[in-house]
Amino acid sequence: MEIEEEMEKIIREAVNLGVSYVDVRYQQYDYELITVENRALKSYSSRKLSGMGIRVAINGAVGYASTCDLTYAALKRTLENAVKAAKSIRKEEKQPFKAEVNRVEMNSPYKIDPLSVSPEEKVSAALDANKAAWIDEKIKSAITRLGLSKDHRIFMSSEGSRVATETTMIGLMHESIAKSNGIMERVPYQESKCAGYEFVESMDLNKFTADISKLAVEAVKSKTPPAGTYTAVVDPNVIGLLLHEAFGHASEGDLVSTRESVLYGKIGSQVASEHVTIIDEGVVEGGYFCPFDDEGVKKKKTVVVENGILKSYLHHRSSAHQFNVDSTGNGRAQDFENLPIVRQTNYYMEPRDYKFEELIEDIDFGIYVRGKGATGGQVEVGMGTFTFGVGPSKIIRNGELAETVRGVVVSGFILETLKTIDAVGEDLTIRTSIFGGCGKMGQTVRVGFGGPHVRVREMTVGGR
Amino acid sequence: MELAELAIKKALTLGATEAEAYVQKVRRIWIEFADKIDSFKVIESIGMGLRVAINRKLAVHSTSILSEREVEEAAEKAVKIARVAPEDSYWQHLNKEFGKSPVQRYFDDKLEAIEYNQIIGELTAAIDRMREYDSRVRPTRGMLMASISNTTILNSYGEGNERKETHVSAWVRAKAEELGEKSTGTEHRETRFWNELNLEEMAVSAAEKSVKFLKAKPIKSQKIPVIVRNQVFASILGVVLSGPITADWVQKGRSPLSNKLEMQVAAQKISIVDDGTLQGGWRTRPFDDEGHPTQRTAIIENGILKNYLYDSYTALKDNVKSTGNAFRGRYWMPPQPSPTNLMLEAGDVSPEEMIEETKGGVFIEETIGEWLSNPISGNLNATITHGYLIENGELTTPVKGIVMSGNLYEILKDGIELIGNDLRNNMQNYSPTVKLKEITIAGK
Repeated sequence: MEIEEEMEKIIREAVNLGVSYVDVRYQQYDYELITVENRALKSYSSRKLSGMGIRVAINGAVGYASTCDLTYAALKRTLENAVKAAKSIRKEEKQPFKAEVNRVEMNSPYKIDPLSVSPEEKVSAALDANKAAWIDEKIKSAITRLGLSKDHRIFMSSEGSRVATETTMIGLMHESIAKSNGIMERVPYQESKCAGYEFVESMDLNKFTADISKLAVEAVKSKTPPAGTYTAVVDPNVIGLLLHEAFGHASEGDLVSTRESVLYGKIGSQVASEHVTIIDEGVVEGGYFCPFDDEGVKKKKTVVVENGILKSYLHHRSSAHQFNVDSTGNGRAQDFENLPIVRQTNYYMEPRDYKFEELIEDIDFGIYVRGKGATGGQVEVGMGTFTFGVGPSKIIRNGELAETVRGVVVSGFILETLKTIDAVGEDLTIRTSIFGGCGKMGQTVRVGFGGPHVRVREMTVGGR
Repeated sequence: MELAELAIKKALTLGATEAEAYVQKVRRIWIEFADKIDSFKVIESIGMGLRVAINRKLAVHSTSILSEREVEEAAEKAVKIARVAPEDSYWQHLNKEFGKSPVQRYFDDKLEAIEYNQIIGELTAAIDRMREYDSRVRPTRGMLMASISNTTILNSYGEGNERKETHVSAWVRAKAEELGEKSTGTEHRETRFWNELNLEEMAVSAAEKSVKFLKAKPIKSQKIPVIVRNQVFASILGVVLSGPITADWVQKGRSPLSNKLEMQVAAQKISIVDDGTLQGGWRTRPFDDEGHPTQRTAIIENGILKNYLYDSYTALKDNVKSTGNAFRGRYWMPPQPSPTNLMLEAGDVSPEEMIEETKGGVFIEETIGEWLSNPISGNLNATITHGYLIENGELTTPVKGIVMSGNLYEILKDGIELIGNDLRNNMQNYSPTVKLKEITIAGK
């Protein structure tokens, strides 16, 4: 392949310039997004992006440059930019990259290439789904999105690695807004999979959007819960979001090495209750397909927490080097314009043996926190504070689910919250999303997260 | 420019009735650092967003591969999508009002010529200052970004516009540790000029904050007056109002401000403007992302809702003039009405005076998660990571880890007691420090 020859040439050229390490990443990314608003096609946008990024290390200083121009002259200029950037930083360190050489090609499986399905068919699927959302006069607005992407990446390094991956992904997102008595409530939800168009064909699109509208109508009629501390049962969506945001980021080696994370110095200590085991894994059912990272390292199953004890951080090559361990394959970059940083892949809690009824049966007054309709979360890794806007949830009264509540925001200190988990369900759901992803230091990557239903003894709920 | 013309010509040949090319070329320096410089990136990117119409059928396609062949293929793909698109009965035509408003200070000549060594030198000095500030403090993370971008917009009505802009921003975080207590301090700044960044000042301020918060604790749940620091309130305003004040949201029935023009939506002392011509503003530019001149638009004037923000599509739909608010996040995104520089106009009270006249309250220095606030209901939710108790007119104990909640629309109506004189920005959102009468805090 022409492009790989160019990559090899740049690597040879860099070595001639005297760099101690170089890697070159090529990417071609195709993306389509169809947006239907209020029964009409709002936009059909499609995007093609390709380019190359070159990373060099000179005496431990890292320089990086990227370009969309793939002519050899432009690539050479880009290499020179990377070298110039590295040379402007003075650093006296040894080789920051511990080697792992792989030569492999892996593609996520699909049956029908979504890029080859006619625009007409895709638009009509999104339109039909949107029309099914108008179930009640309280529904004031409905937005449906169909997204699909193909992400082809090639990694080559001066150590002799060549890793090529291709991930095909598709998903449907819908948001209904209900209004009643001057109150408006918005419920967004999505289903995505690393698969082809067959995933959309297999979904009941009308039920998908109608269910979201139903929840919006139910929410708009409900109240916000009083602020306070609750015993909570948290669904797989929320426990996934909570682990990913509040614990996952804190377990990322680059944030630990700067002592920015609350988990600094805590390997071998109790960081959660004994019921909690947390995994990061590259390829799992329902998750994002990430068999190798953007440093050519295999993403294996990493046990981060085992029975409440912190076992491992997540690492890319440079943070692994600082901790004197092997990379866990978590060096990921948004695209060729960015350097890999430590990122989660599919982060989840392992299930145990509680049935849902058993989780709620001894709660006199509590809350069942649900993720459907959640708006997102944020965390301060330095102090371990988190805050999440979750979906319409339910009050638990005398061991049973009672009324729906809206506008629920949960918050807390993650290490305290995880220690109050006293029961873990037997179910397991892991989800991913093509609509956005996880943001860190200006880069967004696709991730997966989830877990079972979990009971948390103390959770702060903000409301009015 | 030639490739943009080629794309438009090709699209018209293939049967498009209108076409628009938006070409953006960006050169960006991006430095990540902690206690040392982690990495230095130089990113050169170019891309073309192509919008075509076949009568009332529309499509957008973009590509970063700017060869003649790819540009022609992009035009083909766009036309192919447009053919199957259902008619948009509201579509009239692409923007025909091209022009430049006389705005100033959106390009830094110095940035174009700056040497990498100088940037690294200033940054290293700032990191050193943070370390020297106090033995308990470490710089734990930071980012520095400087970009120069060229934007060209051309459409099949033969009009074209070109602009060159610079943006500079930085973010630093210090962490303090003492006897097992940990705390952080963060500073961020977004500006158009290298010289306005002042990395050393930012570093020292972050270090100072981190030390002050070593003993911070949550407080009990209560209703209490709060003073919200300018950048924090700016962020809240942006999160909640940016959507609802656009004609796009109004026309779709999503905006709680629909059907409220010329009505009282806020207290008389509240005036909010959108100003694309603000000198040196984060989103200041002579024309918007469709080539239409920018302007200053009153949104709320003395409490009365005066205008929504329009791009050409929403303006033609309402039969009014565009306010020059077409905005594309990146070249591949279709334009949408969006604020340029959204600003709560300043009052005349200094933050010090606000604190002095507060008997009991909380001063909110930093929050996280304010973007979870709900623009439709106006429900605010943010976790206060850095705050101070105010006791008898003085800042006393630092507090953290409490959640503030309230409703911005209600706050704008009768919740704001005082408006500060210290306007500052959080990206494109501008606000002074404000004092709120009472807000709910969930804590221990």
